[in-house]
Amino acid sequence: MTAATRDISERKAAEKHLAQMEGGRRLAEEALRESEERYRMLLDGVREYAIFMMDPQGQIVSWNAGAERIKGYRAEEIIGQNFSRFFPPEDIERGRPEEVLRMTAASGRHEEQGIRVRKDGSRFLASLTFTALRDPNGNLRGFSEFSHDLSESKESGAKYRGLLEAAPDAMVVVNQAGEIVLLNLQAEKQFGYHRDELVGQKVKNIIPEGFAERLLADGLRSVEDALAQQIGTGIELTGRRKDESEFPIEIMLSPLESAEGILVTAAIRDISVRKDAEEHLAQMEGRYRGLLEAAPDAMVVVNQVGEIVLLNVQVEKQFGYRRDELLGQKVKNIIPEGFAERLIADGTRTAADALAQQIGTGIELIGRRKDGSEFPIEIMLSPLESPEGILVTAAIRNITERKRAEQHLVKTVAELNRSNDELQQFAYVASHDLQEPLRMVASYTQLLAERYKGRLDSDADEFIAYAVDGSNRMQVLIQDLLAYSRAGTNGKALRKISSDNALTEALANLRATIQESGAVVTHDSLPLITTDGTQLAQIFQNLVGNAIKYRSAAVPNVHISAVKNGGNEWIFSVRDNGLGIDPQYFDRIFVLFQRLHGQTEFKGTGIGLAICKKMLERLGGRIWVESQPEKGSTFHFALPEKDGK
Amino acid sequence: MMESIGTDAKPMEVLLVEDSPGDVRLTREAFKDAKVLINLHVASDGTEAMAFLKREGGHTNAPRPDLILLDLNLPKKDGREVLGEIKESPTLKSIPVVILTTSASDADILKSYLLHANCYITKPVDLKGFLNVVKSIDNFWLSVVKLPREVR
Repeated sequence: MTAATRDISERKAAEKHLAQMEGGRRLAEEALRESEERYRMLLDGVREYAIFMMDPQGQIVSWNAGAERIKGYRAEEIIGQNFSRFFPPEDIERGRPEEVLRMTAASGRHEEQGIRVRKDGSRFLASLTFTALRDPNGNLRGFSEFSHDLSESKESGAKYRGLLEAAPDAMVVVNQAGEIVLLNLQAEKQFGYHRDELVGQKVKNIIPEGFAERLLADGLRSVEDALAQQIGTGIELTGRRKDESEFPIEIMLSPLESAEGILVTAAIRDISVRKDAEEHLAQMEGRYRGLLEAAPDAMVVVNQVGEIVLLNVQVEKQFGYRRDELLGQKVKNIIPEGFAERLIADGTRTAADALAQQIGTGIELIGRRKDGSEFPIEIMLSPLESPEGILVTAAIRNITERKRAEQHLVKTVAELNRSNDELQQFAYVASHDLQEPLRMVASYTQLLAERYKGRLDSDADEFIAYAVDGSNRMQVLIQDLLAYSRAGTNGKALRKISSDNALTEALANLRATIQESGAVVTHDSLPLITTDGTQLAQIFQNLVGNAIKYRSAAVPNVHISAVKNGGNEWIFSVRDNGLGIDPQYFDRIFVLFQRLHGQTEFKGTGIGLAICKKMLERLGGRIWVESQPEKGSTFHFALPEKDGK
Repeated sequence: MMESIGTDAKPMEVLLVEDSPGDVRLTREAFKDAKVLINLHVASDGTEAMAFLKREGGHTNAPRPDLILLDLNLPKKDGREVLGEIKESPTLKSIPVVILTTSASDADILKSYLLHANCYITKPVDLKGFLNVVKSIDNFWLSVVKLPREVR
């Protein structure tokens, strides 16, 4: 092999090598181009994320389809522009875009959530990741930004968003700069803004005072502390709508950890209805206070959780509290049992139903004064419709006096019953035991009269006659007294009987009297009645007996009838054509042993009508008389019909 | 206390259990006109009556009565107890017992018959009535009625 040949061969080999290298490079370049293309296509295919690259100053050098969709710019109009235009003006003003790049350059990677502005000016909460791009020598070549619109995130953001939308209250999420980063439909409605008009805006726009201030840390406390103090408590503030009208709101704050720091979720409730109710209540209070104060009873108005919302001066007096010590307090403090329970709905009934059952009935309970002493009360409940729900007005009456009077009455009645029983017993024992010695007196004076009449002198005969007469009369009196004392006690149980039969029995006992006097006794058909048949017969016997006994010169004519009166009473009447009675004696004739005639005119002790009266009292009836002298008498007596028929 | 009334034929032995001397005397007076001879024995309380019937104490020689007139309200042992004891005794229960008392109460009447009294009479309050009752007893229980003879 020659040198030339070798050279040639070397050159050829070199050329070949070069060609190979060329080919390899071409291949490599192609591969690179291809991979770049694939990468670009890949990025373009991503629609959920905005992905673009910037030079070290933030000038945009690439732009994918997701970026176009999310931020609203086409590639040709945004490439070459600075990325700072995606920030809200206020952030630009404070140099936030430069700060973000600086932080990214320093750490190589920076993540945040923040408000961004679309081409059309609308704002949204974005989650962003910035990466610093450096060459192999470590020189900063630029940045990439991956970001997506949190409001359309399918992950936790979406869940949170769903939660927000489901909330019944208006909800806004605010960052520590006081900017709204998220809100729900209710917030849009309440404040009259479109979502885009609020995201990224200061929350002061819709809640001018009292909210943003609460988010700020000051020298004495951290943001967390500041917030912690507010968590969970309802803060009453004023909301302002887009049309600048204002309305009362209550906000509840809760913290939300996020990459950007602590965000605050505020639930905003429109409390204008409640405020109206409160105002209405205040009005009502004004209107009813006069009425309430004029009431003689202690009055409290209680809501359904058992809190006193209104009371009058009598309550203060009765319970020994000042008004402000009771307002808003549980009614259980002054009525420990039985009242609050009645306001509570249970499984089977609503509060309204529970209450309805109690309305208007007096409920006896115990009241407790401030000093702990207790006293009996009666409460009457009535419902009071109010915008706050049904309130209950309770009229509370101190029934200490009534209770005392009731106890006194019970005691007195018991006393009276006892002394009545004693009297009855006394009358019975006296008449029964008096009978024994009297029987001796009577028997032996009679024996004396029988054996010695005409054997002593005439004075002796006369004296013995008076003694016999006196002892005989006394025997009759004692027997009558015994009968009278038995009339109220010895009765039989009441049952359904035929008053016709009772009359028949009475007339049978009077047969001799009727025959002897030639009396004509007639009667209507008499009813079945629930009473004591034996006593009814006795009553008929006494009245018909009297009718015949106190007859005029005419043949005695006695008629018995019965009519039902309006109530459940039968009125029996025994009418005669006898002597009649002067009306001035109408009461006297029913009194024990009271007589209008002397013994010589008509025999008797004056017991018959007294016994009738006593028996009728026992049977729940009454007796009275209609009469005129010489025109006959009609004795009426009423008996209740227990069956009510 | 024993006393014989009349002299001929076998007298009827009658035990009167009565605490009131007035009533004893009235009964005695009433039996004066009796149709039969009557030996009227008097016990003034329930305990004495039972002693008489059981021939205890001073009554060892007491005859067995043909008829007992028994008051209910007695000192010591009362008439209801005496009646109960008589009617529970196999030897005494055949003796007719006439309750003769001032009580007209339904409870006493029922109780007496439940204790097997042979009849119940309320003492009439007037003399004539009382004399009639004793006469009736004499007439019915001591004349009309056949009484059991003691089987020895």
